Amino acid sequence: MARARRITPGAEARRALLVDVLAAIALAVLALSLAAGLGVVGFFALPLLVLGLLWIGGERLLGGIRSRSS
Amino acid sequence: MASRSRAPRAYRIAPWRRLRRIVLLATAICLVPAGVSYLENITEPHEVGFGVASVEWMRGHGGNGIVSQIENWYYTLTAPSKGGPTLGSLPAVGVAGGTGPGGASRPYRPPRIEPLIHPALPGEGVWRPAAAHAGPEPPVLLTTFRSDPEYPQFVAGVAWIDSRRTRLAYVPGLAEPPEISNRGPAEVPPARRRSLVATFNGGFPLETSNAGLVYRGHTVETMVNGIATLVEYRDGRGDIVRWEHGANPGPRVWFAKQNLPPIIYGGRLNPNLSDGPEWGETVNNAVRVWRSGLGIDRRGNLIYAVANDQTVGSLAEILERAGAVRALELDINEDWVSFISYRGRGAADPSNLLPDILRPPSRYLTPDERDFFAVYARGRW
Repeated sequence: MARARRITPGAEARRALLVDVLAAIALAVLALSLAAGLGVVGFFALPLLVLGLLWIGGERLLGGIRSRSS
Repeated sequence: MASRSRAPRAYRIAPWRRLRRIVLLATAICLVPAGVSYLENITEPHEVGFGVASVEWMRGHGGNGIVSQIENWYYTLTAPSKGGPTLGSLPAVGVAGGTGPGGASRPYRPPRIEPLIHPALPGEGVWRPAAAHAGPEPPVLLTTFRSDPEYPQFVAGVAWIDSRRTRLAYVPGLAEPPEISNRGPAEVPPARRRSLVATFNGGFPLETSNAGLVYRGHTVETMVNGIATLVEYRDGRGDIVRWEHGANPGPRVWFAKQNLPPIIYGGRLNPNLSDGPEWGETVNNAVRVWRSGLGIDRRGNLIYAVANDQTVGSLAEILERAGAVRALELDINEDWVSFISYRGRGAADPSNLLPDILRPPSRYLTPDERDFFAVYARGRW
């Protein structure tokens, strides 16, 4: 019986990122092909991206404040 | 010193964080082609501002429904209130030398537009020549009047164009219509400015009008039955008709521009003026915005009308009051309506029909994005 290969956390994170990137490409292709045009895509994608980045930024900011205060 | 080896911590990420990552990556990927298209468009030369150019890019790339819905909300929220003080005077239009209705020995002149609000203001509904050197038979007459007793501050500008003394030309713009051979200079050709008497805006862009266009006898966009059509035949005669000739314009048509159903036909207002979906994919029929329209009177002369804060129905009423028996709506919104007369020879001293029209009077003497019509004097000018 083959021994299970040990996967480092870093490799596991890279593998997850690769899967997510592939899923994102598939999702983007689907959105671009289904949308009425690039104007519609831009109209929804831009605020979504801005909100998402603000969300992540806010999380990191709060995390930093918490770690400094503990 | 501690020699205890620590086992690496397993990689853990919450499923919702991964989902968020996928969605954000997908939006970033989507924005690449959208951004390239937008930047290509916005860095081209435009006569309109950055905001309007962005909106037009969106309209042209599948976002027309979204833009129209936002415009509907905006214009509904900012709609004018009824009543209020009446005006003390009307904007001056044309040049001195008023012209009364024609008699037996004089050429035909349209009758004064009867004022709707009394007492009438000085010059209200009275036609004045558009050009200083027009002589006893000015080819274009202008007037203004208050168009709605419920809104006593609304002023409509109206132009009457003598079909015997003028010839109409369709001029394609830089971007509208999008696909056309032999586009031309997108401005009034310098060689023809000597006989230029007026210019005015075209109809909706083809993408939003879903209607046809014939240019120099060639079909640019397939003609659609039942749609109001400004047509000029090869013999120079112009007309406004409800198109019933199918896709083929036939050999007699020089140009034909369609836009929405007729707003006046057979001397009567279209009974469906309050029916939203008939009036195109832009803001709906009841929203009050700058609107323009073109009609034809019983004698075949053209009548152009423009005013702010109009619905499709109120625009039709302005044209009907000015004498139109058939009419179509032309372009709408402050960025696109223009009626310009040239008070001097050789396109000198251009003047907007109403002083609060946004676009400058020099608009069609430089390349413009949208198509428009030029009115040239026939014969000696």
